[in-house]
Amino acid sequence: MSLPSAFTLEAFTNLGFWSGVLVVAGIYAVVTLGLQLNVGYTGIINFGQAGFMAVGGYSMAILVLEAGFSFWLALPAAVLITMGFGVLIGLPSLRLRADYFAIVTLATAEVVRLVAQNARDLTGGNKGLYCDFEGGSPVCFDDSWRSVSDSILGFVENFWSDPEPLLPLLLVVWATVAIGIVVLSYVQGTPWGRVLRAIREDEDAARALGKNTLLYKLQSLAISALLGALAGFFLALFLATIHPDDYEPIVTFFAFGVLILGGLASYKGVAVGAVLLWTLLEGTRFVELPISEEKTAALRFAIVGAVLIGLMALRPQGMFGKREEMVLGD
Amino acid sequence: MTEATDGEALLEVEGVVKRFGGVRAVDDAGFDVARASITALIGPNGAGKTTLFNVVTGFQRADRGSVRFAGEEVFRSPAYAIARRGMVRTFQITKALAAMPVLDNMMLAAPDQPGERIRNLFLRPAATRRREREVREQAGELLEVFGLEGVAGDHAGTLSGGQRKLLELARALMAEPKLLLLDEPMAGINPTLGKRLLEHMQRLRRERGTTFLFVEHDMEVVMNHSDRVIVMAEGRVIAEGEPLRVRQDPAVVDAYLGGAA
Repeated sequence: MSLPSAFTLEAFTNLGFWSGVLVVAGIYAVVTLGLQLNVGYTGIINFGQAGFMAVGGYSMAILVLEAGFSFWLALPAAVLITMGFGVLIGLPSLRLRADYFAIVTLATAEVVRLVAQNARDLTGGNKGLYCDFEGGSPVCFDDSWRSVSDSILGFVENFWSDPEPLLPLLLVVWATVAIGIVVLSYVQGTPWGRVLRAIREDEDAARALGKNTLLYKLQSLAISALLGALAGFFLALFLATIHPDDYEPIVTFFAFGVLILGGLASYKGVAVGAVLLWTLLEGTRFVELPISEEKTAALRFAIVGAVLIGLMALRPQGMFGKREEMVLGD
Repeated sequence: MTEATDGEALLEVEGVVKRFGGVRAVDDAGFDVARASITALIGPNGAGKTTLFNVVTGFQRADRGSVRFAGEEVFRSPAYAIARRGMVRTFQITKALAAMPVLDNMMLAAPDQPGERIRNLFLRPAATRRREREVREQAGELLEVFGLEGVAGDHAGTLSGGQRKLLELARALMAEPKLLLLDEPMAGINPTLGKRLLEHMQRLRRERGTTFLFVEHDMEVVMNHSDRVIVMAEGRVIAEGEPLRVRQDPAVVDAYLGGAA
């Protein structure tokens, strides 16, 4: 058997390809910041991030295409809808034990996806949502974004004759990640963040000290929903469509992969974990083995799985997690 | 609503019933706790002491009853609301927040921190910082009183069992309680630390007028350190009074030596 014959260097250095990977990694970083807040700092296991992304993305697109909202108004409206949805789900289910709450969130996300698949009049079903062709010229949900993106590219052309078309989205996504990390790290160090950590450690102890723990858990979930909605927008802009298949539970579990790689209770770990996971997943595309393409595709996931297992064995706290907190946590 | 005065009961529990399926864990139990007293709650295993504790502090919903604290009905209020009124409890198995530093454990418990509301983090950062400074200082002083100042920066999970008990008491005090309910504060700690804990209780009662209600199995502690003893058996309060009198009560002797225990 021969070794990997070659990395196709041409593809490996393809700027457009890697910009796409970085956009996806950034989207996952945004989603996973919410998970970090929930799982790493509040101790609530949320398996429903894909559902929040879907609610955010679909709300935005439906508001633009069906209700005639401007894109810029639809964004905050969709964020509020998603946060409200999070509170609605959390209100009855956050009283449950952690594992039951996890099941509820997973089921809810699937319900959202299945509704999107079947409520064809509203969501386009399996055709997805992009443009509304009724009337004269088609209206697409990302028209406003395209014009902003084009003007950014126009500006960049002053220095760079042939700019990468994904550059504006890449900048916005990673600026969101950066702002998210700064803001979340700040609130985590405040008395509010301390209450969250106390709930993670022992909810009854926090209640016995006069903390309304349900309220804090709802806030944690609502912020996570907000981040999910933002990621949903970015994904919709990146793919230029909104389709039920893009919000399968696997999205949430990739985000958990990012969380584990980066380490619990570290926001910057989320960004590093996201880049690492997606570099691994996409970079392994270029490994050429003397086997069929389907087998190579499957092998990529096996490689990522092996890396995760190896990391768990050697460094169970992830790259930026604190081992002490992990050992003492139980 | 009457304003409670000295000598009046701070806590009045009446007719509490808590069933688990067919079992009446607490069966029409009632008692009073006087202000600035140290009251012990004793009884054989399974008498319903911890369940009653849980009901009084809002951690379990009872089927019936009444709990008045400082003259106000708190029965079925949520646990956090009861704690905020000044009735603070500890647990039989200590609940140190293991992966948090000892100092954070203490600071968490302080009331009236505006920075615990998320909007105040952005609207009132100065008030938040000011309160944090106050609370940090107060926490440092209390840790010193309890001999824990040397471990203030350590994670609470690294403390010994006895130190955790002390931390839990110190933390409860940070919440500025009027009434402290301690569930087996002496269990699992060495006699030296136990003695220190008892001294603290006496001192707090003397200096701050804090009221104590504690569950305890060590009879020597109960007899020597409480003003009043409440005895439970099979979900009911079977005797109540001064330690020496209660000890000689035939119903009590029967419950401990003869009955179902």
